[in-house]
Amino acid sequence: MRPAAPLLPLLPALVLLPVALLLPGLLHGGGWDLLGQFLLAALRPSGDPLVLGSLLGGLGITVGMALLGWATSLLLGVPLGLLSSRLLWRSLAGSELPAELLRRLLAVPRSIHELIWGLLLLQLVGQQPAVAVLAITIPFSALVARVVSDLLDALPERNLQGLLAAGTPAPAALLTALGPPLLPGLISYGGYRLECALRSATLLGVFGLGGLGNELLLTLQSLQFHELWSGLWLLLAVMLALEALVSALRRRWSMPARLALAQRQPVGRSSRELLLVAAALVPLLLGVGRALAVDPAALLHWQALPPLPPGGWQGALALPWLAMVGQTVLLTLVAAALAVGGAPLLLLLVAPWPWGGWLLRLLWALGRLWPPPLTALLLLFVFKPSLLTAALALGFHNLGILGRLLLEGVEAAGPEREEALRCSGSGTRLALLYGRFSGLARAYLAYGAYRADVILRETVVVGMVAGTGLGSQLRESLSAFAFDQLALLLAAYALLTLLGEDLSDRARRALLRA
Amino acid sequence: MAALSPNPQPTAVLELRRIHVPGRSQPRLDGVSLRLEAGERVALLGPSGAGKSTLLAVANGLLHPAAGEVLWQGEPRARGARARRRQQARIGTLWQDLRLIEELTVQQNLNCGRLAQWGWPRALLNLLLPLDTGACRDALQQLDLAPELLEQPVSLLSGGQRQRVAMARLLRQNPTLLLADEPLASLDPRLAQELLALLLRHSQAPRALLLSLHRPDLLQGFDRVIGLRQGRLLFDQPAASLQPQQLQALYAESEQAAAAAAPEPIG
Repeated sequence: MRPAAPLLPLLPALVLLPVALLLPGLLHGGGWDLLGQFLLAALRPSGDPLVLGSLLGGLGITVGMALLGWATSLLLGVPLGLLSSRLLWRSLAGSELPAELLRRLLAVPRSIHELIWGLLLLQLVGQQPAVAVLAITIPFSALVARVVSDLLDALPERNLQGLLAAGTPAPAALLTALGPPLLPGLISYGGYRLECALRSATLLGVFGLGGLGNELLLTLQSLQFHELWSGLWLLLAVMLALEALVSALRRRWSMPARLALAQRQPVGRSSRELLLVAAALVPLLLGVGRALAVDPAALLHWQALPPLPPGGWQGALALPWLAMVGQTVLLTLVAAALAVGGAPLLLLLVAPWPWGGWLLRLLWALGRLWPPPLTALLLLFVFKPSLLTAALALGFHNLGILGRLLLEGVEAAGPEREEALRCSGSGTRLALLYGRFSGLARAYLAYGAYRADVILRETVVVGMVAGTGLGSQLRESLSAFAFDQLALLLAAYALLTLLGEDLSDRARRALLRA
Repeated sequence: MAALSPNPQPTAVLELRRIHVPGRSQPRLDGVSLRLEAGERVALLGPSGAGKSTLLAVANGLLHPAAGEVLWQGEPRARGARARRRQQARIGTLWQDLRLIEELTVQQNLNCGRLAQWGWPRALLNLLLPLDTGACRDALQQLDLAPELLEQPVSLLSGGQRQRVAMARLLRQNPTLLLADEPLASLDPRLAQELLALLLRHSQAPRALLLSLHRPDLLQGFDRVIGLRQGRLLFDQPAASLQPQQLQALYAESEQAAAAAAPEPIG
């Protein structure tokens, strides 16, 4: 008995059965009226000009931090990516060794979530605007570097060899042979990273690094739900606008072939537009930096580290490492299964109703924009703190991201086979399952495997709030300034995420090969 | 029930009345009417862009005409979802691109023809276990395909085998109205002859067949021919009585040539 392709994306949803069995036991009895008030407030957000003014100010800071962090991570990430490309080193220096070394080195900043970087920097250099920007920049530039080098190394080498053999100087040959094919992938990924940066900046705010996130947390903790929703709707508007802009630019710049058929665009138009936008970004970014009072020099004044406790490393080593790592892994698996399996299941459920699709889109957009720790706090109104509560919060956030991707996949799969099934009398849901899920199942699961790797990194975010896994210990160690514990925690995180990354890479390759 | 019907003639398998489908510059279908009786095998001829695919899309319920009526066995489009599915289950379409599900096995594809009758449990089980093996085997045998193919993924089949599997899926569906949109277009002459013979063999009463063709040399075995040009019916007559100049007019380059040979002028 081997499940066929259309069933595969639904299999992770089986996790709902144990979750449904366990959830009633986690209810602590109260809090439903609070949750009801929260949901009702969605329809009546506060219009108080004072509230709106402060929310808009916070939103400005969040967007500014996201933009600056994103731009610096691209500025650093692209050169680092070129430097860690095997292809480049092989054709220019005859050895892949430097690329391998740099790749290994960049794995460390990549493996640790921006929130951890942010909180560490906060302890080291104190509260200042540059901290959030740097916290985003560190892991993001390492991620960009990895994608750029992977893209480069996947390109065919023949064109480059041809130009080099014809005596073209190396830099010119590289630019000519590898620039144009690299660009679409880079634009597409760069746009995606900007969306990620907005989510990260909001999240960092929740943990006190400035911006709208902080306002959201304060309004939630003081139960000012109407004001909370004003902030959420504002953020939703900005996020949807950004997503629309990114996808429009992606279509305009990275698929010239399709546009060329329609309107015969002049050669080089998109590169000119790209350069113009890049040039316009420079003064914008400088202005944002000035407005946020970001001062990179201030990052250099470090506070002294507290001394090791009298027992040396013994205390830190005695922490319940096995249990913490086990919880973190379990949290990752449950959250990933909820997100990966939940999206296709929900899509099937609402398939017969046209308004269902729009409701789902709204739900998913809210999931994407909502920082998971806020969802966890909301869930704590009715549930006891537990691994499952944390998994629900993390799963909901990633459901939003995977759901959007699934919808894009469903639309790209084309209507033909679904139509054929509908025409022979199948119901809407079965036609969707058989007709569209079949083709996209493997690619979707492959993305799910990648996402599981991201979820592992994100466990820290909900772990700190819901008190589970390595995250809860991180919170204690941070507030106790126990740098011996912190060092071990970071090492554990790095090791775990690198292992996870390797596993998810293998799973992805296996899925795409079959 | 037939006695109570206001229609004096026996119920047609498919009836189109003054169908109008608007297009960008000119209508895609303009006042097209036709009847398909049980046991009739009708070929639909016409140049590219004449509206053959549109006509077939209206006939299988995919496309709503802006004006006019479509009746399947004397019934208009059903209102309720359940009745609508029962109605669609009686209409079988052989698509030009076949629309097989590449990722599934031959048997799972054949069983797609039963999805209208099956509920969720069986539809899900079909994705886990081989279901209705006997009936699937029969369907393959009727098309001279080896039963061993049942477990193969469709993606591994040859072009001719895929055509036959698509036909076998139709047999599993067991529709009354058979529609085929240029099924022979991408086939070599021998395969085209074979598929056509199969289609004709499996469309005896109570079934009826409407098939669009771009090659007028394959008309043998059809009872009637319909000529469609620029969204209008140019002729609808027994296949045996078709004259060469009518074909010339149908495929003529210019409006005037067509008008000169047509029974009535085209506007």
